[in-house]
Amino acid sequence: MAVSVKNRLRVLRAELEWSQADLAERLGVSRQTVNAIETGKYDPSLPLAFSLARTFKRRIEEIFEAETSRA
Amino acid sequence: MTEEDPSPNPETPVDPLVTHPASPFLQTEAPAPVNYASPPSPPPTPAIYSTWVLYRTQIEFGLSLLAYLMVLVGSVVVVQANPEADWRYFVVVLPVAPAAFVIWLFVRALARLDELEKRIQMQAFGFSLGTTALLTFGYGFLEGAGLPHLNWTYILPLMAILWGLGTAIFKWRYR
Repeated sequence: MAVSVKNRLRVLRAELEWSQADLAERLGVSRQTVNAIETGKYDPSLPLAFSLARTFKRRIEEIFEAETSRA
Repeated sequence: MTEEDPSPNPETPVDPLVTHPASPFLQTEAPAPVNYASPPSPPPTPAIYSTWVLYRTQIEFGLSLLAYLMVLVGSVVVVQANPEADWRYFVVVLPVAPAAFVIWLFVRALARLDELEKRIQMQAFGFSLGTTALLTFGYGFLEGAGLPHLNWTYILPLMAILWGLGTAIFKWRYR
């Protein structure tokens, strides 16, 4: 059973009209890291996921969603 | 009988509410709009200061490399002028101090990377180490078959080049 993680980062960022660089600055990471998380190429660590949730004032489950697939 | 226009000039405003002598109202000026300006922005940061903040690591790195080269050239010159002196061993190892500072800066820069950048660097170092091992072993076999012997000091530049190449490859993969 493989678990892939999807996220709503791009939508949430667009709602606040933040650029990737704006979000990266708030999180203290590089813009490339924000882009890699958004495109699903990189799954953030738990501390970074909690920082994201705090930045958007949402729960982690409202940002990230796990999809289980048989592999 | 002349035809009299009952309506006044449409250009002139009709306002009996305030123009009539018995009117209790007074014509007043509309209040001037108040400009709610943004709070004054802080003075622009001097360019030299922002350069220092943005490129501090690079500047420190460049300056310590320069210090290393200066101490290296200095120690070589001093030792060549005094080849028989007892203290030449101390002078020869002097460049190790600025070199150690360069390594400290490098480790500090690695520690300051974010989690994805650290992962990219780990993969790039692994790529560099593995490819260097492959190339040196391969050339070692070729030396056994008769190719000329190469100096060991080529290994570090080779690793550095492959590390740069690995960083570019793995950065591109996370784009």
